[in-house]
Amino acid sequence: MFAGLLFEPTRLPDEAETLRAEVRDFVARELPPDYWPNSDFNEGHSPAFSRKLGERGWIGMTWPKRFGGGERTFFERYVVTEELLAAGAPVSAHWIADRQSGPLLLNYGTEDQCQRYLPRIARGECFFSIGMSEPNSGSDLASVRTRAMRVSDGWVVNGTKIWTTDAHRNHYIITLVRSEPPSQNRHAGLSQLLIDLRGEGVTVRPIKNLAGGEDFNEVVFEDCFVGDDDVVGEPGNGWTQVTSELGYERSGPERFLSAFRVLVEFVRAVGDEPSPGEAALIGRLAGHLMTLRRMSISVAGMLQKGGSPVVESALVKSLGNDFEKLLGELVRLQAPPGNVRLEKCLRQTLLHAPSFTLRGGTREILRGVIARGLGLR
Amino acid sequence: MDRLIADTAERIFSDHVDRGVLDAAEHGEFPRALWDVVREAGLHLVGSPGSGTDGGDLCELLKVAGRHASPLPLAEVLMANSFLDEAGLTTIAVGGVAPWGRAADRVVTVEGEMSVDFDVAEDVNLAGESRDRVQMRNAHRVDLPGQLYERMALSRAALMVGALDRILAMAIDYATEREQFGRPIAKFQAVQHNLAILAGEVAAARCACDGAIMALGSPHLAVTVAAAKARVGEAAGVAAEIAHQVHGAMGFTHEHSLHHFTRRLWAWRDEYGRETHWQEQLGRRVAGGGADSVWEFLVGAG
Repeated sequence: MFAGLLFEPTRLPDEAETLRAEVRDFVARELPPDYWPNSDFNEGHSPAFSRKLGERGWIGMTWPKRFGGGERTFFERYVVTEELLAAGAPVSAHWIADRQSGPLLLNYGTEDQCQRYLPRIARGECFFSIGMSEPNSGSDLASVRTRAMRVSDGWVVNGTKIWTTDAHRNHYIITLVRSEPPSQNRHAGLSQLLIDLRGEGVTVRPIKNLAGGEDFNEVVFEDCFVGDDDVVGEPGNGWTQVTSELGYERSGPERFLSAFRVLVEFVRAVGDEPSPGEAALIGRLAGHLMTLRRMSISVAGMLQKGGSPVVESALVKSLGNDFEKLLGELVRLQAPPGNVRLEKCLRQTLLHAPSFTLRGGTREILRGVIARGLGLR
Repeated sequence: MDRLIADTAERIFSDHVDRGVLDAAEHGEFPRALWDVVREAGLHLVGSPGSGTDGGDLCELLKVAGRHASPLPLAEVLMANSFLDEAGLTTIAVGGVAPWGRAADRVVTVEGEMSVDFDVAEDVNLAGESRDRVQMRNAHRVDLPGQLYERMALSRAALMVGALDRILAMAIDYATEREQFGRPIAKFQAVQHNLAILAGEVAAARCACDGAIMALGSPHLAVTVAAAKARVGEAAGVAAEIAHQVHGAMGFTHEHSLHHFTRRLWAWRDEYGRETHWQEQLGRRVAGGGADSVWEFLVGAG
């Protein structure tokens, strides 16, 4: 009867709302008074803050207790992540390990791998990078050329990964490699290897972005040995595993809150009696945000039920990223001149905006995923 | 929503809303036969006291009506019957304009005046739907339920969600069947991406509307309706534009049925407050709480 994608109306359970107050108190207490909040999940890096979150049990929240997790619901995790982002807390250190590397290990890793890595991730002591893109493989991920050659008790890796966020300060990278020569089935013969970023045969080179930041890198592997005990899942099953990560990677509140602080500063700048035009802009953005939250919470409900909402996640990310960009552009046009705080926020957002619709899957790739979900391809 | 109501409504509108009925309605003829079938099935009482159904069911029924471009003043009838004793066809006037005033037994205004004695000057909205000017005589006051204007705005949002769902289905079907350059146009990436945008707007509209439906009976109704009417109205514009682009010149003809839905979307997004009205309402509330409470406000509204 209904032609589109179904996002079941979903209410956050009471325990999630109780947790919200705890997170707000924590953030208000922990961040120094002069802290400049940034709601872009990629921006604030603080291992000390991540460790404190770990102490509170707010990393690896949904994982089993025997691996250091909290056995909490996806709704509770949702609330913690959105509160941290809205407050502009520094979360980038543990973000990827918590969001997708940990869940990947839980789904496909061995008991031994889970024991070795998950408790440290959950304590906020162990950070991961994503080893997917390469200099010649971006959106066409199946074309990766980093090779893993079989040796007696493991694999030897040669190749280059790129756009690797925080590889210079994270501990491990889960690397998508070609472990068998290319065949007719381009999705076959790929594997995921867990590699120590400080290990032998690994060189990390920073890449400066247009905003002057150096959080992403090129990672070069030269005869880098990886033992059999660091293969994630089955050799050859890499494509299935990588795509399963994307449901986690794409649906969260970090996909629509990157520019949130711009809205906050705009409201501060115009005061509590905005002009009709200013009020309408604030209301328009608020209406979008309320709607995106509902969609993201609905996806959290799908994850809670054990679903794999790949298409729904792509849709939330696509709408969310477009909104993040729109927010900066629309506020820019109505920003009162000379407001230092708003100006600073706007500059940060406008300079980082190009990355919003690239990282985690470009707008074009996402639209392709949605089109497939609609049965068009 | 009660599955039975949804299925009944789906069946009735599928069977009884056809091209002939829609064209006749646009020529000013009230769809009497459809009205009789709806009444026989008891659908006109969904959401009324003692019916065992609530405001949420009422909105779900309107989504089905919107999906079929039902030419009845169903939003008005259902809302009126939810707080007045049922007495034939009651329509609701806003700004002196009432859907199917010419066929109504009774008119209630959103300001709380009611009369069975009124003059009618026939008029239509841009979808050709009856929007008659009514001049009441011997009007008397009635007790309105709280936030009737907001509820009527929500009714338009629900109708739009139904129509949006329909134009998405039509655009997908058309793109899959229509061939150019030797293949269905759905195989072209540019068309696929437009349909993906369309699907995103339809999903967002539905979620925004469902948020307001969930807030029925709570203190958050005004805020969530403001967000819903604004967001659904925005989606309606984008979605109708893409649906027409996908349908090409065929969709611009009177013969093709796409316009029954897109013209309604263009009309409904303006009724009971266009996007800017609700954005401004919502924006004032957000700003009134101060910058450091923006997030709390958004989360609190649910």
